[in-house]
Amino acid sequence: MTERFSYPDDREAASAAQVRALEALLIEKGVISGQTVDKVLGYFESEMTPLNGRRIVARAWVDPAFSDRLVADTPKAVSELDLPVGMAGAEGEHLAAVRNEPGVHNVVICTLCSCFPWPVLGLPPYWYKDPVFRARAAREPRVVLTELGVPLDDDTEVRVWDSSGHSRWFVVPQRPAGTDGMTEDELAELVTTEAMMGVALAAAPGAGTR
Amino acid sequence: MSGDHDDDFDPEAGFHPSCVGDVGRPDFDAPWQRRAFGLAVALSEFGHYPWEEFQQRLIGAIGAWQDAPSDAEGRWEYYEHWVAALSGLVDDRGLLEPGYVMPEDREGGVTHAR
Repeated sequence: MTERFSYPDDREAASAAQVRALEALLIEKGVISGQTVDKVLGYFESEMTPLNGRRIVARAWVDPAFSDRLVADTPKAVSELDLPVGMAGAEGEHLAAVRNEPGVHNVVICTLCSCFPWPVLGLPPYWYKDPVFRARAAREPRVVLTELGVPLDDDTEVRVWDSSGHSRWFVVPQRPAGTDGMTEDELAELVTTEAMMGVALAAAPGAGTR
Repeated sequence: MSGDHDDDFDPEAGFHPSCVGDVGRPDFDAPWQRRAFGLAVALSEFGHYPWEEFQQRLIGAIGAWQDAPSDAEGRWEYYEHWVAALSGLVDDRGLLEPGYVMPEDREGGVTHAR
């Protein structure tokens, strides 16, 4: 465990007690049942995962017409795919895809709070919610991307998308070279969550993603 | 020191140690965070409040933290703001008050999130 996890016990314990008390009261008053939170969490953790985003990106790579539809009207294009029920709800209604192309690199941030596209990317990584990351990515995206190991030449335009309650952006990364003979399922394995946030590129074949 | 966190960090400091790849990435640091997440989503999913309202609360809670004098802020803990937003919304909407009307019993029926 790193230093970050060494919180003072009282503060940590106070938060835990507060949440426990709140849920117990809501159950006692009959607002929710004892299973409600577990059911909702189970759904999120089993269905709302980056696997959805990987499948969307892989389809865009093999089907340029789908790729165009995805950028033009993301929720509509996503509904063409056989993804879990609920993709349209739970914050999925505002999904908006932006596409990396030669000379254009997109990166998604949220400068206020975490407005993450859960249905396609799962829950956000911890550092995405860190004020330092958000502030730096907004102010000096090229520097941040270079630090993260994303190669950008001077001619490449960096577009920063600020997720909000209204639009939940995700990035369609460029298809890596050397993937011509690969199936859609194989291609999906090259797509990482970070690539769909624009803070990494899609993996080269053989590099592995998981 | 300024209360504006944008000016508080060292540009050379690099990223948080948790800034790693997909592998082994923790979604939550503690069970109570996962619980707080699920509770807020569940109440919205079952029509007790629109998700946007929770989101605005969260933005407000984080904004208040960022605007507070530095010595009062303490450590950044995202889910503490989450819990503050959730508690405030539960109070304001009267979920725990006697006579609270469940969404499905309201006139005009329930407006489900989905």
